[in-house]
Amino acid sequence: MATPLQLGFQDAASPGMEELVHFHDHALMVVYLISSFVLYIIVTLVMTKLTNKHAHDSQEIEIIWTILPAIILIVVALPSLRILYLMDEINNPHLTVKAFGHQWYWSYEYTDYDDLAFDSYMTPTQDLIPGQFRLLEVDHRMVIPTESPIRVLITAEDVLHSWAVPALGIKMDAVPGRLNQTTFMTSRPGIYYGQCSEICGANHSFMPIAVEAVPLTHFEDWSTSMQQTV
Amino acid sequence: MLASQAAVRGLQRSLWRALSTARCVQAAHGKDVSADVLDCSQPQYCNRPDTPLPDIPFVRNLTADQMKLKEKEKGPWTKLTMEEKLALYRLSHELTYAEMRKGTNEWKTVVGVILYFMGFTGLVVWWQRVYVYGDVPQTFSEDWVEKQTKRMLDMRTNPIQGISTHWDYDKKQWK
Repeated sequence: MATPLQLGFQDAASPGMEELVHFHDHALMVVYLISSFVLYIIVTLVMTKLTNKHAHDSQEIEIIWTILPAIILIVVALPSLRILYLMDEINNPHLTVKAFGHQWYWSYEYTDYDDLAFDSYMTPTQDLIPGQFRLLEVDHRMVIPTESPIRVLITAEDVLHSWAVPALGIKMDAVPGRLNQTTFMTSRPGIYYGQCSEICGANHSFMPIAVEAVPLTHFEDWSTSMQQTV
Repeated sequence: MLASQAAVRGLQRSLWRALSTARCVQAAHGKDVSADVLDCSQPQYCNRPDTPLPDIPFVRNLTADQMKLKEKEKGPWTKLTMEEKLALYRLSHELTYAEMRKGTNEWKTVVGVILYFMGFTGLVVWWQRVYVYGDVPQTFSEDWVEKQTKRMLDMRTNPIQGISTHWDYDKKQWK
């Protein structure tokens, strides 16, 4: 989850997010270089005492400032496309979870082995235990095993929603009448929070997502106990 | 309340616009306000640092004394006194380079007005905080933030470069 006054990404909890973080570092460096160069040019342009009222054209600089941006774009595009195709690779998920967006809560179904389905409502602020996170805690988290590829099928029951977990590098729209698929793998155990990312009405800001990644045995115990309670 | 505030702001704005374009205020800041009707089909005199020799001299209609000086200028320049040289300069140019580059004091007025409006905005923000906004949620209390931070550290949130890397788990204190 994010900490106060945080500006950058949350630490990656999946290999996909790691790739995105590194690409962002690379692209941001390119952006900083271009911006500082342009700023330098503007400052020298404004502050100079030199005047030239007869500058018409220059073939050399035109060639340079056409070729160089093309090279820069290629330098940015190649890693970007690499990650794009990486995201679409076949990875044989161990588990499929279905996430349904409702107004204004998520519901999850684990139907690979048994029938497990439950709703996930936000814990209201006045019901929080001291130390819990406002607007992020839910009554039933989506529990998954660590270090296993997970497939999530996302759809909505009423209006558009979006299932997003920044630490895992996932955001996928929940469209009514459509199944969107995304896969991820958590590298380490923990609870990863996200919030609905498509405006869906009055309580759009109050339907968070909490993904709890636990070792496989714990996941199996949870699955058994959830089935008995729900 | 809001309507009267808007009316006051509108008045201040139109007042500033009227003032800043008023000739007396511009003249007070040292701007040259003598520009009357220009006939742009004729060569113009201009004071520009990048044009050392304008199209026409500044003084077109010379008095008798000035014409005599112009005749003397046709001879060797070593015979001209300093005052005569300066007078000849002022005949062909209105301003020296130093005078052209001097600048005005307008920026002080602009900065002053900016600061004034920033102060006024601060006043409005303070008033909102005191008279409009309610209490912040209970999760902002010191006790809650402490428990919350402890929970984040226990959960090992952001353990690569974030908050959990700043906590020494053995000594149980911040690094």
